Amino acid sequence: MTSTTRVTMLHADSEHDAREALDAAGCTDGLPVVIPTPERVQRMVLATGIDADMVLGEIGPSYGVATIEKVAIAAVMAGCLPDCVPVVVAAVKALCRPELDTAEMQATTHAISPLLIVNGPAREWCGVASGFGALGPGHRANMTIGRAVRLVMLNVGGARPGVSDMALLGHPGKLAMCVAEDEAASPWEPLHVSLGYQSDEGVITVVGTEGPHSVISVSDADDPSSADRLIRSLAAAVANLASNNAHFHRGTVVVVLNPDHANVLSGAGWTRNDVQQRVWTAAQHRRDVLRTYNPAFAGNGADDDLLPAVQQPTDVLILVAGGGGLYSTVFPSWGAGGHGNPYVTEVIDLGQACAIPSIS
Amino acid sequence: MRDGISFARKGIPAVAIVSTAFWAQGDFVARSLGMPDVPRVRIPHPVAGTGADAMAAVAESIADELIAVLKLSTP
Repeated sequence: MTSTTRVTMLHADSEHDAREALDAAGCTDGLPVVIPTPERVQRMVLATGIDADMVLGEIGPSYGVATIEKVAIAAVMAGCLPDCVPVVVAAVKALCRPELDTAEMQATTHAISPLLIVNGPAREWCGVASGFGALGPGHRANMTIGRAVRLVMLNVGGARPGVSDMALLGHPGKLAMCVAEDEAASPWEPLHVSLGYQSDEGVITVVGTEGPHSVISVSDADDPSSADRLIRSLAAAVANLASNNAHFHRGTVVVVLNPDHANVLSGAGWTRNDVQQRVWTAAQHRRDVLRTYNPAFAGNGADDDLLPAVQQPTDVLILVAGGGGLYSTVFPSWGAGGHGNPYVTEVIDLGQACAIPSIS
Repeated sequence: MRDGISFARKGIPAVAIVSTAFWAQGDFVARSLGMPDVPRVRIPHPVAGTGADAMAAVAESIADELIAVLKLSTP
């Protein structure tokens, strides 16, 4: 893949040799890839239902041109089933949006990577998991969609560790970080409906985040403080004093509630908006406290100024996923980049998608 | 690096100051943005947080080179 719309054809004597050559060329994520032979790529392009040379946009820091063909190559390499490729296409469209600051996201020393959240009918069409361990191993759609997006970031966006991806350590979610919302288990409307879409639209929400941070909260039906305690626990993770957000006061933080926790909050009579507002309000620190951690970022205002972890309540994205239990999950973020680390959404166009047999 | 390129594109003389740890990235960005020869000067890494005296010493050590490169890039 190059900075043009053309792709380079490589030759090898065997699949083994091809895999080794791709790895040696820095075109993999470090794991073995499926060889993107012309036949496999053509079938993956067919699954998108879009012309191979259609341009989705450019991705930095190398500003390579993302075409459908290049996305299909990445999807083949990642081991995607054809049904999943519309989600990959939508995610790459999101990466091409200027407000995501993908070039800066790739180049920063911070440990940030796109978290992909799938809503609507695309969840069933593509089989994106939303229950127990959805972000962990064993869920092919989640892993391969996330992996395909990372391979696009590597090979179209040109982000190579230590040269153009300057993450000091990174995190394993940079390999793949894709989850669906468990809409059936949520007490609220689906996330994409809250963001203005119709429930029958497939939507991907993309936001650069750190890895998942676990939040423990033990609820008790006899304890009327359960919901408040949960809010404070979530806010403690959102405004973690070692996070960028606490010191930069912007970005998007993602709160993934397990269904039990979501029901505790809903049971208190709170809507998604209410939860956003309450978490945001609780996720604030005094300036003099922040100054004791990172004076370089604390500014010159009054000691008793209360500074929020993100600019506004809607910067706290709330969704429901995972198994029920004691743990929910917070994804702190970067809070940097020219646009301040917002989330972006793209429709997953299943209308163009073409069901084809599995690629051998 | 990108700031230096943005200034150069506007015709304003500029020199990017790049620490050794980010030198390869600087080369990559310069090539990606189509200005592989954009002026830059190398400094040790790290500089941030090394204290005012150390930073002043780094500034002193590159001052002549910085001015020379600026003069070269001035139309």
